[in-house]
Amino acid sequence: MNAAPFVAIGAAVALLGGSSLVLHSQARAAAKRLVLGVVQPDAAPVAVANDAEAPYCTPEFKNVLARVINACGLTAQDNRRGCQPADVKSLAQISDADFNALFTPLKDRGAVLMFDDASEKLDDAGKKVLDDRWQDRKGARYFFVVARASKTGTPEYNEQLSHKRANSVLFHVADTFPSTELDKQVGLLWLGNQFAQLGADYCQWNVSRTKGCNAEAINRSAFVSWVDCQL
Amino acid sequence: MRSLPARWPSVLALLGALLGLAFAGVSTLDYVQHLDRQVHNMSCSFVPGLTAAAGADTACRAAMYSPYAALFRDRFWGGLPISLFAVGAFAFLAAFALYLLVARERAARRAAQFFALVGWTPLAASLFMAGIAIFKLGHVCKTCAGIYASSLVLAVGAIGAWITDRRSGQLVRTAPPPPKVAAPLDAAAKVEAAEAAAAATAVAPTVVDAPDDDTTITAAQSKAAVPAGLRRTGSLLLLPAWLAGLGAFTAAPALVYWQDLPDYKNHVGSCGTLPKPSAASKDVLHLTSPRAVVPATLIVDPLCPTCKALHQRLAAEGILPALDAALVLFPLDSECNWNLRQPMHPGSCIVSKAIVCGEQRSQHLQVLEWAYESQDDLLEAAKAGAGLVNVRAMVKRRFPDLDACIDDKATERRLDRMMHFAVDNKLPVSTPQLFVADQRVCDEDTDLGLAYTLRLLAPQLRSP
Repeated sequence: MNAAPFVAIGAAVALLGGSSLVLHSQARAAAKRLVLGVVQPDAAPVAVANDAEAPYCTPEFKNVLARVINACGLTAQDNRRGCQPADVKSLAQISDADFNALFTPLKDRGAVLMFDDASEKLDDAGKKVLDDRWQDRKGARYFFVVARASKTGTPEYNEQLSHKRANSVLFHVADTFPSTELDKQVGLLWLGNQFAQLGADYCQWNVSRTKGCNAEAINRSAFVSWVDCQL
Repeated sequence: MRSLPARWPSVLALLGALLGLAFAGVSTLDYVQHLDRQVHNMSCSFVPGLTAAAGADTACRAAMYSPYAALFRDRFWGGLPISLFAVGAFAFLAAFALYLLVARERAARRAAQFFALVGWTPLAASLFMAGIAIFKLGHVCKTCAGIYASSLVLAVGAIGAWITDRRSGQLVRTAPPPPKVAAPLDAAAKVEAAEAAAAATAVAPTVVDAPDDDTTITAAQSKAAVPAGLRRTGSLLLLPAWLAGLGAFTAAPALVYWQDLPDYKNHVGSCGTLPKPSAASKDVLHLTSPRAVVPATLIVDPLCPTCKALHQRLAAEGILPALDAALVLFPLDSECNWNLRQPMHPGSCIVSKAIVCGEQRSQHLQVLEWAYESQDDLLEAAKAGAGLVNVRAMVKRRFPDLDACIDDKATERRLDRMMHFAVDNKLPVSTPQLFVADQRVCDEDTDLGLAYTLRLLAPQLRSP
């Protein structure tokens, strides 16, 4: 009797059956893993894209930033925009000098827009510097405007003038770069002469007027900068 | 008894078929593992089943993810891998080779003819697939190469078996006609008689088909006469019957696989949506062809190998032209991307700026595709001595008109705004990411399950 056909059929059944069985069991196992959502042990969590975090974002700096942001309506929890000096005074809980020092690391990132005496009008040079700084956002989330007024005049007058200067900056940005996000991006701070005055050394910063920059002129200004800190 | 040299073709064919079965089986199991939508190590070796070291399986992975690795990818998640059909075919051919080996001259002559006819088909398929691997994918995976080599061995064995069979037929036919006798010989005796006759007779190159009826001779006569091997040729109907068997074997593993495929409908599209799809809408680039029917957002890094692979898959599956895609560049390079402390793909910022600049001349897709094609060279150049200067030089050499624009502040700022798209939408720091309309395509579905997923999320993409 010729056994070859039986040998061949047996081999065929064994090969195909074996392959199919392995295939079936592996497919079932994969289906089970799919349903159970088995996570591979080597799967590392993936970071989520966030705002930039520059080296100058020290805990002290972020503390001030967080308080200002919360107090000034940037978290969009209320409809306020801007903070009055009293808010900052009570919130920042640090000395005037330290408050100014906090912004020192922003020398290369920010700029000082200078105003005429008793005026809140941005001149062309100021607008140009502001436009440039605004567009140079990089990875920042918040744009800070810290307006000041010089020592001359009453504290109330200076505070109002400071407020107007801050608004001048905001209005220019809003007109030039319209965005629905501005409310959540721009933080305004207007400081009267009850805050520490800036020294003439701030004339070394990126200022809108290099001519005639002195200790008196540098305080008729609005300091603007994106802040590269995560909160 | 026949000597080994006369049986070598069947042995060779059996060996080739078994090796082919092993390689095809391993390749299929690699595929099956990925049905859980996770990424697994792959067997990518000349030794079937040996797992490749991490990173050494690029060619096998590229082959597996390519649209040529499976059929009906838009109908089933992952499709039906080609290797499934190879498993069934090799199993059948291995059994057939074993039949020829065991039956020897007792096998109908049609068997050798049939085996020669179908034994080279795996080689033909292998040549076709090797051509795709070399010319389309640019890689030949080791497991695939194992299948190609096995197919070659099988084909040589099958043709060899047929030639041997023909020769033995010639020998038999030139021998004196066998006398009719009363008592039949058993098959082994017939074979021995045929050999004896062949040895004693000069060979003439005449080939005549042997009669289909068995010839009987006595044991006494068989010593001197040729039995002849007047072996039966076998009915012509055997050919379609065997062919049907081969077809059934080839299809069987695919049927088992199809039956076992999990249901993916609940998993696809479960990876969220874009909360702010319109963010940076003025700054993103657009890849839109006249055939575009489905809005999409594609977040890529031009020097990311996975992005390149996704782009190639979208193009190869004919999906890219159907997408009205917003292209968001997200270079994984700390040179410009604040989300990284160290560059993952150095030079990517420069290349991304070149792509942004390309838009002015409607060249952005061209620059992107050049970056993908030159990806290995660009990454190598970035890591070499002069670093980014090398990358810049390569870009300038290929696109001299874009050089000035790359340094423009406006270009840098536009790229920044594109990266803010990822922040505003709280996207993972990873590339690529694909959204169809606002629906995210899960990372797990961007390789094997891409065609199925896209056609599920956007039925307009389904081919008629």
